[in-house]
Amino acid sequence: MLPALLLVSISLWEVCSTRHAADATPDDAAWNRASEIVRAGYRPGDLIVFAPDWVDPVGRLHLGDLIPIDMAARMDAARYGRIWELAIRGAHAPEVAGLEPVSSNDADGVAVRRYERAPVTVLADVRDLVSTAKTESAGQSGPTLELAEVGFAPHRCIQVIPQAGKPVRITFPQLALGSQLVGYVGLADVFKRRDIRAPGKLEVELDHNVIASAEPGVDDGWVRFEATTTPGAADLTFIISATAADRLICFAAEARK
Amino acid sequence: MKVQPRVIGWLLALATVVTVTINQRDVGIARDEVVYFSAGTHYADWWLGLVTFDHGFGGDRIKRTFEENHEHPPLMKTLSGLSHRVLHDKLGIAGELTAFRFPAAVLHGVLVLLVFTMALSLWGLAEAVIAALCLLLLPRALFHAGLACFDAPIMTLWFATVYAYWRALVTNAKWPWRVGVVFGLALATKHNAFLLPFALGLHYLVVAWRAGKWRGLVQFRPRVIISLAVLGPLTLFVVWPWLWLEPIGHVQEWLKFHMTHVHYNYEYLGHNWNAPRFPWHVALVTTLLTIPVATLAASALGAGVWIARRKTAALEHAPVLLLVLSAGASLGPFFLGSTPIFGAEKHWMPALPTICIAAGVGAVWAARRAASYLAALRPIGEAVAHLPRSIPLHDRIAVGLVASTLVLAAATETFTAQPYALTGYNALAGGAPGGADLGMNRQFWGVAARGVLPEIAKQPPARVYSHDASPAWGWYEKLGLLPSGYPDAGWEGSGIAQSGLALVIHEKHFNRHDYLIWNAYGTVQPIYVLRADGVPIVSLYRRSVSVPPNK
Repeated sequence: MLPALLLVSISLWEVCSTRHAADATPDDAAWNRASEIVRAGYRPGDLIVFAPDWVDPVGRLHLGDLIPIDMAARMDAARYGRIWELAIRGAHAPEVAGLEPVSSNDADGVAVRRYERAPVTVLADVRDLVSTAKTESAGQSGPTLELAEVGFAPHRCIQVIPQAGKPVRITFPQLALGSQLVGYVGLADVFKRRDIRAPGKLEVELDHNVIASAEPGVDDGWVRFEATTTPGAADLTFIISATAADRLICFAAEARK
Repeated sequence: MKVQPRVIGWLLALATVVTVTINQRDVGIARDEVVYFSAGTHYADWWLGLVTFDHGFGGDRIKRTFEENHEHPPLMKTLSGLSHRVLHDKLGIAGELTAFRFPAAVLHGVLVLLVFTMALSLWGLAEAVIAALCLLLLPRALFHAGLACFDAPIMTLWFATVYAYWRALVTNAKWPWRVGVVFGLALATKHNAFLLPFALGLHYLVVAWRAGKWRGLVQFRPRVIISLAVLGPLTLFVVWPWLWLEPIGHVQEWLKFHMTHVHYNYEYLGHNWNAPRFPWHVALVTTLLTIPVATLAASALGAGVWIARRKTAALEHAPVLLLVLSAGASLGPFFLGSTPIFGAEKHWMPALPTICIAAGVGAVWAARRAASYLAALRPIGEAVAHLPRSIPLHDRIAVGLVASTLVLAAATETFTAQPYALTGYNALAGGAPGGADLGMNRQFWGVAARGVLPEIAKQPPARVYSHDASPAWGWYEKLGLLPSGYPDAGWEGSGIAQSGLALVIHEKHFNRHDYLIWNAYGTVQPIYVLRADGVPIVSLYRRSVSVPPNK
């Protein structure tokens, strides 16, 4: 008796569950209501994020006009003091991990939460200074400022393609440093990552000392590096290298107060 | 009026052909299909020219015709091309797309008939009907059966070989030569067929050993082995003129292409896989998340029944072992970690007939157990005792109840998933949104682009960056699914630069195409997002300052 009951129960559960799953994701009307909530409280410079990440296109459909490309392709979220999170299915965006919302609404299945925190103060962003940087040991290409795919996410970053075994040194003269240098590096282009499996390498040099380094591999995505610095102006050098050719290494870094 | 079981099988086969043919009308054109349309048309024309004495066996003409897409054997392409020539060009009873796809639909019907027939022979009518319906109501298989590709057809020809082999063991009459021919047709469909000898060979060793130890290995059914070894390759050779030019060299070339095939990107459990080693459990987990849960549950019961009865109710020539080996040979390579996993379930679909037959056996066993239990209960037993004695009615009621709920569940899964079945996952995963949460592959082949064509048509005319649908774009225009004025803008960077509209078909490794468009259009905001049960599958962007199509 039990096996038949089990089969019938599973079948009936499957019928209900399948129809429920098909209709359970919020529709455009719900997203419009969520969008209205955000627009009513939005201030220029607010970061808007969506969760889970697969719903990002729907979020951008409704609020993409409030998301500049450089915000979507941000290095990280630390410089944003106000963050709007629009989430479905109980998900949370990694940008708000550890934060408590100051406001929270539900728009028919789209949770709209606003977070506030003290943003970091950025004294210098190396991406704004590419044109003034000095490059030694030219690579196959770069440095160029790109909107690149790194770890399947968008990042505005400085891309260098070093020749195999020949490091490229990029120096930002008299960079305004704070107490912390934070950066990220990764390998751009999924097809290059498939075809060339060797990692890349980045070292940060200050006063002839390596103060930070990272060795991003093909599956590592956007790898964080950081170092403590002494406030003041100094020459900061990024050394980018790879053991294989055609390695698209892309990085970003901020000097923070 | 009593309906003959064989008639039921044919009706189920017919229902399958009709269902597949209707379902495919809403399914977009797969990237690979475009190649097969072209090659199939040329192959068919060559054969038609040969039988009408328009030309002979000239090597140059063979080379010109069959060099096209020679990395895949010709059977389905040829049938597609012939179907197009007859159903569309000559008779005018089918649209171009349907005509190309119709042979695959027919073969899916044949598969349902074969599964029904084998289950009927070995277990009974109820098991056969349930197995056939479970096979018809598989979301992904139904989707693939509607494409002019090889993945559903190889499932049919694979199982047809298994069936013919089993019949050859049982009857030992006409079937020995048939098994070789059917195996040859399987080889002429897709290279998966090279795995069949592992299943058949192992099975043969077991049954021949049981029949007569060492002597059995030689004397059991030698004609079957000779047929497979001789008629199989010979049939492949006959239907593939490309091999006539250089048999060994071209077979080597064909196999080398697949042994060294590039690893396409494939998302599985949140990770983009494009290089070995792949997780050993891809085939297992993907199967568990794409077959209707009720079918899986019934199949698990069926497997249990087979194990429990392996000694008490042993069937002649070990057909259960044959079915299990068939599924094992189909799935096995994907546990190695080195076999390409892109395309997922379509590459191991020959395992599905075994799963569905097991489901039929399991469902009927469970229903009959319940019927026996209820009959033993006194009040119900007495009530049933007043019913006509000629039929075990309580059995029928129980089987009918279990089967109908099982079929209802499978049908719900199957039709909810269409026409974007590659995005669909079963209730265990939580449907398409659950599959997306788990980081399972969203889709492939650019099929979903068809869903945004009506939205594109609402926009002012412009060149369109059609992304992964680029190979199919001309067909969409030709079929009238897209009005004139929306030509394909071309490849990646230059295509996007010249486009006024751009679409991105969402797969993890295609995210970069969003960013290329953002950069060119200066916005991250699409104007339309096509969704399957809420899961984004295609985004459409519009350049704020439109680039006219004639630029």
